[in-house]
Parts: sequence; structure tokens; C-alpha cells
Amino acid sequence: MRQASENEKFAVVGIRPQETPQEETRQKWYKGKPLLSMVLLGIVFAGCMGSRFIMTKDPTYMDLLNYNLPPNGEFLFGTDTMGRDIFSMIWYGGKISLLIGLLSTAISTVIAVIFGAVSGTAPQWLDTLLMRLTEILLSVPNLLLVILLQAILGKPGIWSISIVIGVTSWTSIAKVVRTEVRQLRSSEYVVAARCMGGGFFHILWNHLAPNFVSSIMFMVVMNIRSAIVEESTLSFMGIGLPLEIISWGSMLSLSEKALLTGSWWIILIPGIFLVVTLLCMTEIGNYLRRQVNQKESNL
Amino acid sequence: MKKKNYFLYYGRKLLIFLVSVLVLSMTVFYISRLAPGDPLVSYYGDRVEKMSPQEREWAEEKLGLNDALHVQYVHWLNNALHGDFGISYKYKRDVMEVIGSRLGNTLILGGIGFVLVFVLALLLGILCAWYENRLADRIICKVGTVTSCIPEFWFSLMLILIFSIELKWLPSSGSYTIGKEGDVWDRVLHLILPMTIVVISHLWYYAYMIRNKILEEVRADYVLLAKSKGLGKRRIVFGHCLRNILPSYLSIMAISVPHVLGGTYIVETVFSYPGIGTLSYESARYKDYNLLMVLCILSGILVIFCNMVAQTINEQIDPRIKGEEALETSEVVKI
Amino acid sequence: MAELLEIKNLEVSFDTPQGELQAVRNVSFKLRAGEVLALVGESGCGKSVLCKAIMKLLPRAARIRSGHICVDGTDIAGWKEKEMQKLRGRLFSMVFQDPMTTLNPTMTIGAQIAEAVLVHQPRMKKEAVRSRVLELMELVGIDRAEERMHLYPYNFSGGMRQRSVLAIALAGNPRILFADEPTTALDVTIQAQILDLLRDIQRKLGTATILVSHDLGVVARVADRVAVMYAGKIVEIGTAEEIYNDPRHPYTWGLMRSLPALSRGKDSLYTIPGMPPSLIHPSKGDAFACRNPYALAIDYEEEPPLFQVSDTHYAATWLLDKRAPRIVRHWEEHAQPEYKCVKEQKPQEILLDVRHLTQVFPLTKRTAIRAVDDVSFQIRRGEIFGLVGESGSGKSTVARCIMNIYRPASGEILYRGVNVCDRQEFRREKKLLQTKRQLIFQDSGSSLNQRMKVKDIIAEPLKISHTRPKRGSCLEEAAFQLRYVGLDESYLEKYPSELSGGQRQRVAIARALVMEPELLVADEPIASLDVSIQAQIVNLFSHLQKEHGFTFLFIAHDLAMVEFLCDRVGVMYRGKLVEVGTVKELFAHPQHPYTKELLSAIPAPVPGAARGKLDQMCFA
Repeated sequence: MRQASENEKFAVVGIRPQETPQEETRQKWYKGKPLLSMVLLGIVFAGCMGSRFIMTKDPTYMDLLNYNLPPNGEFLFGTDTMGRDIFSMIWYGGKISLLIGLLSTAISTVIAVIFGAVSGTAPQWLDTLLMRLTEILLSVPNLLLVILLQAILGKPGIWSISIVIGVTSWTSIAKVVRTEVRQLRSSEYVVAARCMGGGFFHILWNHLAPNFVSSIMFMVVMNIRSAIVEESTLSFMGIGLPLEIISWGSMLSLSEKALLTGSWWIILIPGIFLVVTLLCMTEIGNYLRRQVNQKESNL
Repeated sequence: MKKKNYFLYYGRKLLIFLVSVLVLSMTVFYISRLAPGDPLVSYYGDRVEKMSPQEREWAEEKLGLNDALHVQYVHWLNNALHGDFGISYKYKRDVMEVIGSRLGNTLILGGIGFVLVFVLALLLGILCAWYENRLADRIICKVGTVTSCIPEFWFSLMLILIFSIELKWLPSSGSYTIGKEGDVWDRVLHLILPMTIVVISHLWYYAYMIRNKILEEVRADYVLLAKSKGLGKRRIVFGHCLRNILPSYLSIMAISVPHVLGGTYIVETVFSYPGIGTLSYESARYKDYNLLMVLCILSGILVIFCNMVAQTINEQIDPRIKGEEALETSEVVKI
Repeated sequence: MAELLEIKNLEVSFDTPQGELQAVRNVSFKLRAGEVLALVGESGCGKSVLCKAIMKLLPRAARIRSGHICVDGTDIAGWKEKEMQKLRGRLFSMVFQDPMTTLNPTMTIGAQIAEAVLVHQPRMKKEAVRSRVLELMELVGIDRAEERMHLYPYNFSGGMRQRSVLAIALAGNPRILFADEPTTALDVTIQAQILDLLRDIQRKLGTATILVSHDLGVVARVADRVAVMYAGKIVEIGTAEEIYNDPRHPYTWGLMRSLPALSRGKDSLYTIPGMPPSLIHPSKGDAFACRNPYALAIDYEEEPPLFQVSDTHYAATWLLDKRAPRIVRHWEEHAQPEYKCVKEQKPQEILLDVRHLTQVFPLTKRTAIRAVDDVSFQIRRGEIFGLVGESGSGKSTVARCIMNIYRPASGEILYRGVNVCDRQEFRREKKLLQTKRQLIFQDSGSSLNQRMKVKDIIAEPLKISHTRPKRGSCLEEAAFQLRYVGLDESYLEKYPSELSGGQRQRVAIARALVMEPELLVADEPIASLDVSIQAQIVNLFSHLQKEHGFTFLFIAHDLAMVEFLCDRVGVMYRGKLVEVGTVKELFAHPQHPYTKELLSAIPAPVPGAARGKLDQMCFA
């Protein structure tokens, strides 16, 4: 009996299909993702977009009786030197700040992708020319460009400031797109598609775009960030949005007055919202960048 | 033979530089002429309003404002080459004189700030790379990310609020206390806050770049060979990795000179520090185009010059990189 | 007396997001002073990890779970980095796979060797270091060392760089040298030179060497003993004679049989079915069972222990158990090589006619390189034409000119009488040319778009040319082609990154086949694959060609597979086509010295033998 089972054990059975164990991932989906930043940014974003439902006062109403009040029960974050309710202004102005960030990034990304793709696929001489042009454009200080563009576009508004920021901040993305396109263009699947007769747009849409999107994603997020910074800086300096158009930047343009009176809340509160938003975006941007390159150290 | 090559090489560079400056000045000139505002005002100031139409016409004739733009440009260029850049409308003084009186301040703030950024970033970057993903690295990375997120102007405001208004330790504006022009210590006190902002707001970007570049090098295959021949971690990081990133770091820093200087502009404005930054801000607000134009051309020249220095560094120091590829790999990406 | 190096029950694992990857599982072996031990196995079998683990060069995610590494009887497994540093270079050092990346690009070769010399003798005089560097460079066969020590790595060719790496490795007079696939990234003829150099140096200096390779044929030249690794374990170890003449493990049989030199004259190459298993969740029993035609029932239950065959020969297979049936190995039966009958030389029409093709690439403004220099050949319909040459010989350029990727500087390429280099003619016949000629690349991960699913990749040519798929929808067509190249439908929804090299190459073939081409151009389609997978792909090509009858231009850098697959061969050397002929003629009577060199570089699975000896054995 035992002999039989032994023999059976040693019979040639050849190749048997073996089930491959499903590779389960040990880690939870959120592992490594910037969860806190995503939640915070989500809250700020939702709050700003739904500012209508949150605001306790009319953000534009100048309450001349209650100006420059520290935070209290009625005015949660206090009032500014013109008697406006800061709590309501934060959400209302945040919408405009974020909007400007998104709009100008959309503008700069579109310019950058077109410019980069053209420069990346163009013959050598045109590419060199285009790159020299961007260099010269970069060497003209932003300030002059901003002033000129504002002069052309008229009184500063959401659109004009978005265009100004967008038009002056596309070069770094364009350079990355160009380098990526140059690299991808010589990659074998693009060559293969060309051999099969794939046209320029087929290759651009099916092969180039999906591949460089991931590498510029991080820069796009960072661009939103720097657009918001630029808007607030310009508004703070008095050459961006005027006081009447409420944004985090234009709220901060009151801070020189606030410094004199020591009204810290006028400076601190919009600033904290600004910094937290920027920080969340940076974290998300860094996460996106980490996704692109991961390798182990040799040391 | 070799000498001649060098001569050719730098001759070519100089030519490119001059052509770029020419194109730049042309661009700036055209833009400033297109910008709204009466150029007559920038020459004669408020007197323009009192001029009769004949006088105006005569003045325009004299200044050549009726000529085609390119004729005006040649005229302007000719004057500029003789050192005459016109008069600043706001200050009623020769443009170069106005700039000259402010340049020193900006150079002190920007120059010292730049050197500090350069050295500290290198040290911090090496430190972080050395302790990759350990506690020290993580803490520095987090703090660095936070500081890099704070807009310069708001950071300045906070420091003023804390150190000048609450604690009353440091002055909040200007470059010296009135009446104490010659007092060096007073000037230093005025520099502390602006300098802190300039350094902190730029430091992390470069430190993080150094860190990542070193980490990239550490992952290269040659590190394994260096290790297998018996080299220690210190010799590998300093003798191999750092040596390999130094040329590109130098060139990036060269490109960044205008960046750091540009950063001082905002800081100068907040602290009312009398430098080029406040000057360009004021000239922009008061539509002082003559002054603004010269300021733009000056900073443009600086950018072009620094770019060329960076390119030369890449071509001359790093044996790997040749020619045009150099700048592509070392582009400054603002994060 | 203690052995120079003794590894006992070594286990190394990596932490990956998917779980713990057991790269080396329970490995034990001994290395005696002055011998050459070859570690052979497919990629991912842990052979390279084993070497790096001994030198403690592994990344942080890897750790030695258990086991002992004894040097002269001292266990160094637990030693700290500081102590290991003192051993590296002096006790053991390493030569790596890719000489292009292992040298620091910003330091001169001389400086890098000098550094290695100085590590262990920091007080050495400058002059002494210099003469030592020159001595080392001469030792590894770099002539004109005096001037070359001031050159940078980018001035050197691959072979020269590998010599420099070897000089660095030998600088500290190590007692053990690890050579991790030292020739894989090099041209075949250079490969042979480096191997000979290794053997010479080893004899001269008496350095014990562990040679890692994926190719049994390659190590036959140098190895005293051979260890075969599979899925992290040593499955068979013995002297070279024992392994080559009397292999016992079915995996070793498989490896030996997939060497093209042993399949001469047969219809298809022998292949090992399936693929290496995942080491993250190793299945129960013998890891090789699911690829083993001789697997026993117990193989699926229990892992086999190492059975002793002789004093020096061990193998881990249940077949050696006394209860197991005796298997007769088939591969020994074919001692007589016969060439497969060459197809009837019917006067077939000439499909592709390349006439005086010349291609020039500008290097700088003044200098240019003649990549292809006056090349002419014809390919008849239904023929498999092989084009062989080292890297940089211009063979890929020829392929790309044929496919209209490059415009040749001069010369004509006629495809069915259409001059494809002529723009007007090309435009007129555009559709035909784009559908009837297809290209397959070397698999480097970049031949398939990482962001497209397999089904979209295969259907891409259909979409481009707006062809109605024969089998209804694009999806069905893709599924059909996929089955045709030997993959099941579950792969349709996968991304290329989830596939292995061989599977990716199958997908690339399916993409080319979907248009039912007349001419298939394959540019080194198997160069980056494992030997057993190479054989699978070559078999697939051979099978498909018989079914479809397409004409096939097969480009390779060595003659091993060409001999098996092709009807006619052209040999390219430095841009020129130096020899063309049928496989039989070329192999029997090579004319050009380069062809002879290529032939002698074919790895022969005979210990200590170069090609000449094999010929005697085979044709005796």
C-alpha cells in the first residue's frame, strides 16, 4: 500500500498548469498619498466654490461702524480697515484667487504645450531659434511685461491678470515639453507608428500627449501655485487686482495700513489661508513628481 | 593653434552676447513706446500741460517723436552709446545718476544674499542627501517645503510684525536711520530682516535641487564600482558625486543670479529699502518709462550675461556635456 | 584547511510593495582559491543578487535574512559597512555588466584606477602609483597606456571600458573577483576577447573568480566549475565537465538544449516552456516543476533536496531519488548535424532590391560618419535573410532606410520595383508600402507605448490605415493575433509594463502581423532576451514564416540564431557588406576574416573549448 503511493509520487506527470497566486498589494490605496493635503485643499476648494452658503456677511459691504475690529462673535475673523467682514472675504476672495490660479495655468499650459510640441518636432534650426526667443523673452523682466499687458488689456480684472500671469509663466513647462517630445520622438513606438503611416496628429494624440502629461503634471500643479503667489504679490504691491475685487492678494494689500495699527488679523488670516493652500498644492505636486521617478540608492 | 581656438570661441560668445543685447534693447524700446502714456511727459514733466500746441509740435520735432519708430530707435541708441539715457521724469535727474545712487544697496543685499544662498544650499543639500529619508532629512525637507511655500511679501510682513512691531528688536524699513548715515552697525541692523527673507525664500529650492542631484548620482552605476573598490561613503559622495554635480550646480547658480536679484525686488519694496527694486516699482507706478526702460535693459543684460556664463561653465568644466545640450539639462525650473 | 569562501544557507530578500521577494533562497557553495566558478541562470534568478549580497553591495530594501558568508573560516555575514569597506577591493572586487555606466564619466581613466590603487595604500608615492596604474592597464591589455590614462571614459569603446573596469577591480590584488555578466553588453567578438582576458588574468594572478552569466555557452570557455541557478536556488553544481557532459537537472538539460549550436539541423529550436516564476509568492514544491516535462508528482508537493551525484556534482531534482524512474535524455541522440533541406530554389521574384545604398550621418559640421557604405543585396519573396554585424556596423541603418525612416544619401531601394527612396513614387504607393512592410524592434521597453493597452497596441495599425478588420471588430482581430503568437486573451487588457520581455516581443510581433505584411523587418528582435526566451521567439518566427510565407529580414549581432533561422546571410562590417551567401556556404566556407571571427565567437557548450573544437566534434 505504502509502496503504491510512493510509486505514484514518483510517476512522471510532466507539466501541470499551476495557478499563479494573485499578487495582492499589501498596502492600502492611500499609502504614500498626501492625504492630509488632499483633504485640506478639498475643504478650502469646496468652501471657496460654495462661498455663497458659508458667508455670514456681504463681503463687499463696508460697515463703517465696525472697521478694524479684532475677531469676535459677530465677525469671526474680524473686519478690515474698510469695515468689511474678513471671514466672508476669505471664502469669496479665495474663489477669485483659485480661479486666477487655474485660469492662468490653463493659459500658460496651452501655450507651453503648443510651443514645446512645435519646438520639439521642428527641425534643428527652428528649434534653436525658438529657444533663443524664449531666452530673450525670459530676460525681459516680468514687471515690464505685466505693466504693458495691463495697459493693453485695460483696467486690471480677473481675466486680464490671469492672462498677464499666464503669458509670462509658460517657459519652464515649454522647455520640459520640448525635451520630452524630443526624447519620445525618437522612441521606437513612435518610429513604428510613423512606419505604419501614422500622421502627425495621430502620433501627437496617441503617443506623445499621454506620455508627457505625466511628466508635466507636477509642473502644472506647481504653476497653479506660483500663479496664486504672483497674483497675491502683484495685488499686494498695488499693480494687480484693485481693492474692490476681493482676492487673498488684494486683501493683503491693506496690510501696510494694518501694520501701522497693529491689526495682526488682517495680515495673518488671509496669509494663513494662502500659505496652507500653497503648501497643500506643493505636497500634491511633490507626490506627483515622486511617482515619475523611483529608484533605490546604491549607497 | 589652441590659442586661436580660444580666441574664436570667446569672440563668438561676445558676438552672440552683443546681438542678444541689441535685440533686447530693441524689444524693450518698442514695448515702452507702445505702452500708453505721453513720451513728451517723460522728457518735460508737468510743463507739457502748459505748452502751447506750437511748442508741443516743436518739442516733438526736436525729440524726433514724429519720425518712424525705427528712426527713433536709432536715435535713442546713438544717444545711449554716448552715455545719454535721458532724464527720469519722477526724479528730474539723469537716469544713470538715479540708478547709480541705488545700485550699491541692491548689490549689497542681493550679492551677500546670493553668496549665502549658494553656500548654505550646498551644505544643506549634502546634509539631507547624506541622511536620506532619516529623521534629520525628513525634518529639513518638511521645514524647507513650508518655507518655500510662503510668499516673500507675506513672510516679510510677518517678520516685521514679530521683530519690529511686537518685539521692537529690528528696524522695519529703509537702509539706515535718518541722521546715522555713516553708522555701519545701524546699516547691518537694517539689513538683517531683508537678508533673512532673501536667503530663506531661495534657500530651499537650491538645497532641494542639490539633494536630489546627489541622490540621483548615488543611484548611478559607477557608485557600485567605487564601492566595490573599497571607497567609503564620504569619499564617494564628496570625491565622485559632488564632483559630478558641481559643474551643473555652478551653471544653475549662474542662471539664478537674476532670479535671486529679482527676489530682492519684492523684499526691497516691502521694507522700503532704497534699491533697484523699489526704483523699478516706483518707475512702473509713475509711468517713468525712460527709467524703467534702462532698468529693464540692465536686468536683461544681466540675465543674458549669466546665461552665457552658465553655458560657458558647462562647456568648459564638464567633460561630458558639449555644446548646446548643456543648457537644456540645467534649466532652472521654478518650483 | 578552510575554504577561501564558503556560503552556507544564504537567504536574501527584497521588500517590495507587492510583498517580500525572495531573491536568493537557501544557497550554499564553496569557492576554492584560484578557481573559476560560473553562476548560470535566466535573468531574475538571483545570481547577480547573490554576488552583491556577498560583497554587501545591495540596496537598502534588500537584506540578508539568514546564512553565513565565511572567508577563510571567518563569518562576515554580520559585518558592518565600515569593516566591509576594508575587505572590498582587497579581498574581493567586482566587474559589472554595463561598462557604459560603471565608470565615472567626469574622471579620467587613469585617475579612477589610481584611486583604486590608493584606497589600500594611501601613503604610496605619486610615481609609484603612476607606474602601478600603467602596469594594471597593460595587464588588462590597454596598449598606449601612457597617453590613454588621461582620456575620459567617453573616449573609450565598450570593450576598452570593460578592460578599464577590470583594471580597477584588480588594483587591490583581490583574492576573489566577481564578474557580473561582464560581456553581455558587448559585441560578440569583443565578448570572446574579454572572456579570454579574464581567463588569462585569472591564470596569471591566481584570482578566484565567480563568473555570472545567463549563457551556458559563454561560460564554457572559462569555467572550472558551474553552478546553475533557478528561482533563487542553486539547482545543480559541479565541475564544468560534469555539467556539460552529464547534466542531471532537467533545467540544465533545457538550458543546454536551447543553445542553438545544439539544434543544428533541426526544424525547431528546443525551448523551455513557460516563464520563470514569481519569487514573491513561490508556489509549493519545486519552482521548476511547472516548466518541466519530466516533472514528478512529488515535484508539486515537496522541494527536492540536493542529491549527490559525485564528490563534486550535486543536483536538486527528485529524478535522482532512487525511487524515481530513469529518464533518457533526448538531446544526446542528435549527434549528427544535418542542415534542414534548403527550400527549392524556384526562380522567385525579387521582392526587395537594395542597390548601392549609402548613408552618411553628420557628426559635427566638418566630420561625418559613413554608417552604410555602398551596400547592395536582394531578398527574394518568401526568403529569410539574415543581416549580421556588430553594433555600429550599420545594419540597423539599412533596416531603417528600407522602412523609409531615414533617407539614404545615395543608392536605391526597390520594393516590388517601386523605388521607395523616390518621394513621388513613395507617395503614389504610400498605402501599399505602409501596410505591406512592417518593422519589429529590439525589445527595450520603448518599442511599445507604456500607456496603451495591449489591445490598442495591436489594433493601432488598423486604425491608422483605416482598414476594416478581417474578423469583425478591432478587438476580435487583436485577440486572434494574440492567440496566434501564443498569448491568451487575458493579456488584451494589460499594459506593456506588466509583461515580461518575451511577452512584449510577442505583442510587437502581433502588431506587425495584423496588417498581414509581405515584408517583415526585425531589428535585433531577440538581442535583449534570455536564452530560453530567445529560442521561443525564434521558433515563433520560423513557424509564422512557414504559415504566412512572408519575406523576412532578420537582423542580429551574432550568428548563433541566424544559422538556425535564415536561408541566406549577409555580414556587415563597418558599414560595408563584406559577405553574402546561403547559410550553408557561409558557415562552411567563410571568406572574410570578420565572418571567421564571428563564427569562432559562437558560444560552444563544450568546456574549455572555442568553436574550432566544437566543429571537430560535431562534424567528426
